[in-house]
Amino acid sequence: LSLATASPPPLDRLKARLAEIDDLHRLEQLLDWDQHVFMPRAGAPVRAEAHGTVTRLAHELLVSDAVGDLLADCAPLERELGHDSVDGALIRVARRDWERARRVPAELIGELNRTSGVAVAAWERAKAESDFLFFAPQLERQLELKREYAACFPEAATPYDALLEDYEEGMTTTRVADVFRELRATLVPLVADLAGRRVDQAALQGPFPIEQQRTACARILEAFGGADSWRLDETVHPFASAPGLGDVRLTTKFRTSDLTALFSTMHEFGHGIYEAGVDPQLARTLLGTGTSAAVHESQSRSWENLVGRSDGFWRWFYPSLQSLFPTALGDIDCEAFVGAVNAVRPGLIRVDADEVTYGLHIIMRFELEQAMLAGDIAVDDLPEAWNARIRADLGVEVPDDAHGVLQDIHWGIGLIGYFPTYQLGNVTSVQIWRRAAEELGDLDTQFARGDFEPLREWLREHVYRFGRMYPPQELLEHVTGSVLDPAPYLDYLRTKFSP
Amino acid sequence: MSTNPKLEQLRRLLAEVEDLRNASTVLFWDMRVKMPPSGSQARAEATATVARLTHEKFVSKEIGDLLDGLDENDYDYDSVEASLLRVTKRDYQKAVRVPPELTGEMRKASAIAVSAWGPAKEKSDFAALLPHLEKNLELRRRYVECFDPADETYDVLLDDYEPLMKTAEVRAIFDDLKRELGPLIKEIADAGEVDSSFLTGDFDRDAQREFSLQVVRRLGFTDDEWRLDTTEHPFMCSPGEHDVRITTNFRPHDIHSIFASMHEFGHGVYEWGVAPELQRTPLGTGVSLAVHESQSRTWENLVGRSRPFWRYWYPQLQEAFPHFASVDEGAFYRAINKVHPSLIRIDADEVTYNMHIILRFELEQELIDGRVDLKDLPQEWNARMDEYLGIGVPDDAHGVLQDVHWAGGSIGYFPTYALGNVISVQVWERMKEDVGDVDEQLERGEVGEIREWLRTHLYVLGRKYTPQETIERVTGSRIDPGPYVRYLREKLAPQPA
Repeated sequence: LSLATASPPPLDRLKARLAEIDDLHRLEQLLDWDQHVFMPRAGAPVRAEAHGTVTRLAHELLVSDAVGDLLADCAPLERELGHDSVDGALIRVARRDWERARRVPAELIGELNRTSGVAVAAWERAKAESDFLFFAPQLERQLELKREYAACFPEAATPYDALLEDYEEGMTTTRVADVFRELRATLVPLVADLAGRRVDQAALQGPFPIEQQRTACARILEAFGGADSWRLDETVHPFASAPGLGDVRLTTKFRTSDLTALFSTMHEFGHGIYEAGVDPQLARTLLGTGTSAAVHESQSRSWENLVGRSDGFWRWFYPSLQSLFPTALGDIDCEAFVGAVNAVRPGLIRVDADEVTYGLHIIMRFELEQAMLAGDIAVDDLPEAWNARIRADLGVEVPDDAHGVLQDIHWGIGLIGYFPTYQLGNVTSVQIWRRAAEELGDLDTQFARGDFEPLREWLREHVYRFGRMYPPQELLEHVTGSVLDPAPYLDYLRTKFSP
Repeated sequence: MSTNPKLEQLRRLLAEVEDLRNASTVLFWDMRVKMPPSGSQARAEATATVARLTHEKFVSKEIGDLLDGLDENDYDYDSVEASLLRVTKRDYQKAVRVPPELTGEMRKASAIAVSAWGPAKEKSDFAALLPHLEKNLELRRRYVECFDPADETYDVLLDDYEPLMKTAEVRAIFDDLKRELGPLIKEIADAGEVDSSFLTGDFDRDAQREFSLQVVRRLGFTDDEWRLDTTEHPFMCSPGEHDVRITTNFRPHDIHSIFASMHEFGHGVYEWGVAPELQRTPLGTGVSLAVHESQSRTWENLVGRSRPFWRYWYPQLQEAFPHFASVDEGAFYRAINKVHPSLIRIDADEVTYNMHIILRFELEQELIDGRVDLKDLPQEWNARMDEYLGIGVPDDAHGVLQDVHWAGGSIGYFPTYALGNVISVQVWERMKEDVGDVDEQLERGEVGEIREWLRTHLYVLGRKYTPQETIERVTGSRIDPGPYVRYLREKLAPQPA
């Protein structure tokens, strides 16, 4: 099959339009990043207006009839180009995004984003003051808007399916519920089994001065590689952002009382390296980003847990860490430290949770979100439901809403249907990891030498570079030979954590 | 008042345009302050896209039709509605002349050139910047061609920064300044050199930052609404109401950052003080660059280099920097007001500063008219530094590469700095008539009443009136170099022994 080397004009015109849309999407990321990292607090209302307008404009550019006509003109070409060509994928993804976006009125999109700006500001204050009632009206508003949004997709099995599809193309609520049921069946007894065990946390008592933590993070990022031009800033809730080609930004939160920042930095590195690893030829198209939230999370969790909590990693890095924190770690050996950072301890905070209890935090949110969206639970009753569930699943008492229902930024932003992708990411991470280990040999030995390049490059070659060319389940099948499957993940947890 | 649905629709559309401008401001601020250099190419694309889309949105037929269908004479001249229509119509008529592609191209070229400027300045490598300047100049020429021929080509460029101002008017004012300041510079030189050696030393950057913050907080900076960051070239921008960002450059061997901070505070407080009812309209910003600069220079010089200001602040400066323990306040005051020809515009004293501007004003006209070739710019620059200030330029980093403006594509911007100096004293004198004990207040470290006078008389107006109308309303007179020259003489001329 020989193709004309010059792109046909309709495709060129489509690409020009998509480039503008991508520029606006990147601008939105920057507006977000700026808001969380540097914007003076009083700027929030006007920023919300600006963000709303940019989002609406990007939406208008996408949903225009002109794009529809271009897509129609490109249809024969899409068939001709086939599945594995960049241009073919671009047309497919553009059509999917166009069709979904056409369903949603521009005004609703603008309103969602304006609300997001205001609600995040309210969440920040509510969390700081542990005052759920201050946030409740904003959450109520978000839910109303999300219901309206879901109603734009009447073919979805449930409203929740409509939301989930935005983050995880092709995934269904039923499938997630099945996978989560299987996980829960293993996790709850495993947590119970581990509950009696004494956990030695002497290694993590600190204090860990923040300057040295910064140094530690910088050394880890340098060894992981590919991140030399990145920014690392501080925010309440760590995140990664890619506001343009060659521009990846991570944030973390340092506390002298623990080393969470190291793990959150490795976590956000995973998100960042995925974005940075996308083939540059996909920049300024709709393909130039990760294929789904779960696949993204599989990479953040890979670098945080499968690398960052492994024996090999710490055999390499522990001496360095010890020399940075001689007071806190001088008398602690590597084995004790690795034991401590892998301790299973039911706790209040999702982002601080260990690999075993983490899933239970997610499964709770997944269920509460469905209940809130369906109106089965009132917003005002949410803290009580939350606290009861934490008590039941993890045996912990929630002292205040800042450590409970207000801990995460997501519902403030309007991310409902997003939480399950975290746990799907965990499941996916081990599927991909298994495949990498088959090809690369003993990863632990490589990490013990501080050598992360083979893994990073393998992931770039097999996962990152494709961006959104393949939908998530197709990519997963492409890489691992199988669609979403909880078995490897459960096997990993049992092997690593069973008493 | 404004229940006209057409006007409401116009306001809604203009608010969106302002939102996009605010978003562009974030792109710009981030590029200058936080962006990793490897992001510059993509940022240039994004900047161009947003500029193009903003332009398209503004020059849309819908806005054009609404403007055609609305008459400013239906409203009281002083109403927001009438101003909105007057100002927007003029903006619109200018904007429709410029193709969106050209706007986008200019933004993109500017973004790329600004990224190249930093390294070029660092290495004093004019050749590295030359192609970017050529591109900028070519784009500016194309820009000029979009408009009806003016009296002078430079008029078209000047109008973007100083609406309705003519090159000839500026030339007349600058001729006055040249005539008055040349002899003053000579008199001061003849009187013997002021000792300012103690202004050089080792000044901890963190301590400088702390002191700058202490000062600007006293002037009105709050953490809820403002930021202070570090950049090579200080600037102010405001990406939205209640979000004012200033930057400064903390240099290890002097305390210039304090004055740069007050300067940028002056720009910031003007934006901060624009009336809330003008926000998210084209009226919601400073009226012109010269009026803007009048406020930065007010807070930097009329406040920040005044004797009473330092009577309050000097003991605190001495505390922050023990370096000054043995320097008395009078000597410090004379040193920070020392008039002495030097290489760098932003470090120049109040008198010679204007000569730096006049030099740039002349070179810009010659460049745009093709009388000077860009590649000869360093030589021309150096020759004029010798002629106007009698000093030799050692390298381009300390000469033609010192400012970001030309890399940014701004031609016609520089004269507004000196015009700002002129206006600042006109406004200040008017304020003093009302406030009375200004010096006493400054000696007590108080600026609340001064700031409030400036806010209620000038800042709140935003772009409601033309720059000339604004100056006349505030000061009762047209732009006039007389008060400025008198101020400089009174403050800085050698006292007869």
